[in-house]
Amino acid sequence: MASHSVLDELKKNQIIELLEQGKRIDGRALDEPREISIEINAIPKANGSAKVRLGDTEVLCGVKIQPDRPFPDMGDKGIFMCTAELLPLSHPTVETGPPQAPVIELARVVDRGIRESHMVDVSQLVIEKDQSVVGVFADIVVIDYDGNLFDACSYSATAALLASKTPKWTMVDDKVTLVDGEESPLPTTTIPVSVTMGKIGNHIVVDPNADEWASMDARVTITSDSDGNICALQKGGSDGFTLEEMQQCGETSVRVGAKIREKLKEAQQAGQ
Amino acid sequence: MADKRKYVIPGDVVTTGPFRPEQNVILDGDKIIATMVGISEIYDDSVRVLPLAGKYIPKIDDLVIAKVNSHTSLSWELDINSCYVGFLPAQDVFGRDFSAHADELTSKLKTGDLVAARIANFDRTRDPLVTIADRDLGKIDSGVLVPISPSKVPRLIGKKGSMIQMIEMGTDAAVTIGQNGWVVVSCESPEGLLKAKKAIEMVNEKAHVANLTEQVKEMLEIKDTES
Amino acid sequence: MGGRDATMVLLDENGIRCDGRKIDEPRKIMIRAGGLKNADGSAYIEFGDNKILVGVFGPRDVHPKHMSNTDTGILRVRYHMEPFSVDERKRPAPSRREIEISKVIKEALEPAVMLEKFPRTAVDVFIEVLQADGGTRCAALTAASVALADAGIPMRDMVAAIASGKVADTIILDVNNEEDQAGQADMPVGYMPSLEKITLLQLDGVLTPEEYKKCVQVGVDGCKLVYELQKKALTDKYFGNKGD
Repeated sequence: MASHSVLDELKKNQIIELLEQGKRIDGRALDEPREISIEINAIPKANGSAKVRLGDTEVLCGVKIQPDRPFPDMGDKGIFMCTAELLPLSHPTVETGPPQAPVIELARVVDRGIRESHMVDVSQLVIEKDQSVVGVFADIVVIDYDGNLFDACSYSATAALLASKTPKWTMVDDKVTLVDGEESPLPTTTIPVSVTMGKIGNHIVVDPNADEWASMDARVTITSDSDGNICALQKGGSDGFTLEEMQQCGETSVRVGAKIREKLKEAQQAGQ
Repeated sequence: MADKRKYVIPGDVVTTGPFRPEQNVILDGDKIIATMVGISEIYDDSVRVLPLAGKYIPKIDDLVIAKVNSHTSLSWELDINSCYVGFLPAQDVFGRDFSAHADELTSKLKTGDLVAARIANFDRTRDPLVTIADRDLGKIDSGVLVPISPSKVPRLIGKKGSMIQMIEMGTDAAVTIGQNGWVVVSCESPEGLLKAKKAIEMVNEKAHVANLTEQVKEMLEIKDTES
Repeated sequence: MGGRDATMVLLDENGIRCDGRKIDEPRKIMIRAGGLKNADGSAYIEFGDNKILVGVFGPRDVHPKHMSNTDTGILRVRYHMEPFSVDERKRPAPSRREIEISKVIKEALEPAVMLEKFPRTAVDVFIEVLQADGGTRCAALTAASVALADAGIPMRDMVAAIASGKVADTIILDVNNEEDQAGQADMPVGYMPSLEKITLLQLDGVLTPEEYKKCVQVGVDGCKLVYELQKKALTDKYFGNKGD
């Protein structure tokens, strides 16, 4: 039904009125993300997993690590793949069937954020060059929607990868064979953190909730790594940002991202 | 006067015997079976279940709060928080002289607007017909929409309106309750607005609790002494 | 099927199964009603190591309109497994197995759901298997029933489900993954406890006529145990003390 994505006018006006006073509808500061809760190993049978709640947005990522054939021109590199799916139970407007452009964009942006940071070192994931490599698959599913799926999905994948354990395989008589009892943490090099900012009128808000998401005119998702470098960026929506706004967003994302990185590290410690 | 109230889930046998099955129960042989999660009530000659979950089913003459979904050149489609969508014909707002060429629907109501409306006609073979043609109906210009479960509306109103009056007086807010579970609250002071909203949400959450009235009263008074 | 794995002991001399259970003992089951913010009704179940989430929307408008029925509402069920829910990662596209199970669960719920009360609408049941360990369709059906009640969809009865089966020539209750792979028979059963009707029944394996009768009986008795937990889930959410 269309109505769930139709924000009532009264609420939209309230959001804008409050922003004019420097306030948000849920009392947060403009650059304040919602409370993030991270549950590691929500799916014990997967190699790694994490359930993340951002407001009422709830997202689950499961990591499977298994042997695979390398890509034709990349025989000395393992495989890393990140997917995202919007489950129909997360919102009444979600349809079943092949994913539409917004969900494909979501999946690709989350994948790039992690890939471009080189969080997963694929050169360490080779079993036998050109023959057999390790594939790391981070599959994300959105369970409940309350705005800002980009960040929630990104955090769940990052947390799940940080908590992942990889088995060991060797070649025995030209066959890939599991070496029992030799599990080790998945080697990771950095912790990428994405921060999404929405533009409502002339105001930029960090981590828009569902109502703000429905009111915004444009958004930008910026991912930074543990060194404070920006490694991925995606602007979306039908309005534009000024140069100053875009530059400011860069700074904000690194600053806010650093605090969220601490939460991801805490969750990783807690899970061990 | 109902006696022997019982908590039931679908499939539970409420009672056996010569009773007339009313809302949310069915007759199977001589067993009266609940079809919803709720509270069963046995009267002298009939049995019914008050549901604690479920969507709003439109009833003729119900006051509802509705949101404009979309429109054609001849009518608006309204979300009435039900499995059926409300149909508001242009004539209802523009009058008999309505002309699709001359009169633009968005000049009166556009997508996203909230209205207080009444169910004019409904049977399950077609979408409910809605009207805003009375004095107390029409576009809502200010306030906050607080959705509650439609099954909790009687509790929010209270016996002869006692619960809602208590909330209005304790906060100076004006509250319009739609039978469809959508409630609009407006208040001059932001504190009063917030208090009223909290009180309404409390009723929604604790409708089944025996001393709810006391709890709401306490909550309204406690905030008073703090401010 | 048929006791392929000679190395696994499915039933030892003391009548204890490979995971320590007795022959009539179900795995640990936990059911929670509600939990999702946007769905009209929801439920979450843990059945042994199975973890399954169900969300229900409806009754609601049907699109495209030609799929709706003027005399009655329609029930649509989608059973879907996440890629990380099974041992070897599963591709996201629906498999033939998922499509069949969706249909079987739909037909197990239809006798219970009073669709005739909502012509021209649909009730959508979305089942997501987050972690699988044998008997997912029974756990899914059980949770779906709770989610429908949570959504306030009128039902003649609940539908509870569990799988009975045979290992080492013995009829057992609640077949787990190893028993499903290496045992002799697996029989998922779905049952309406008040109306006393079986609405889901399948069989994989070989049973003598006597074993068959016993297996169905054991399954139905198991469903009655599962029903108690469905009742508990709804009671906890709707009738329980919320700390007052």
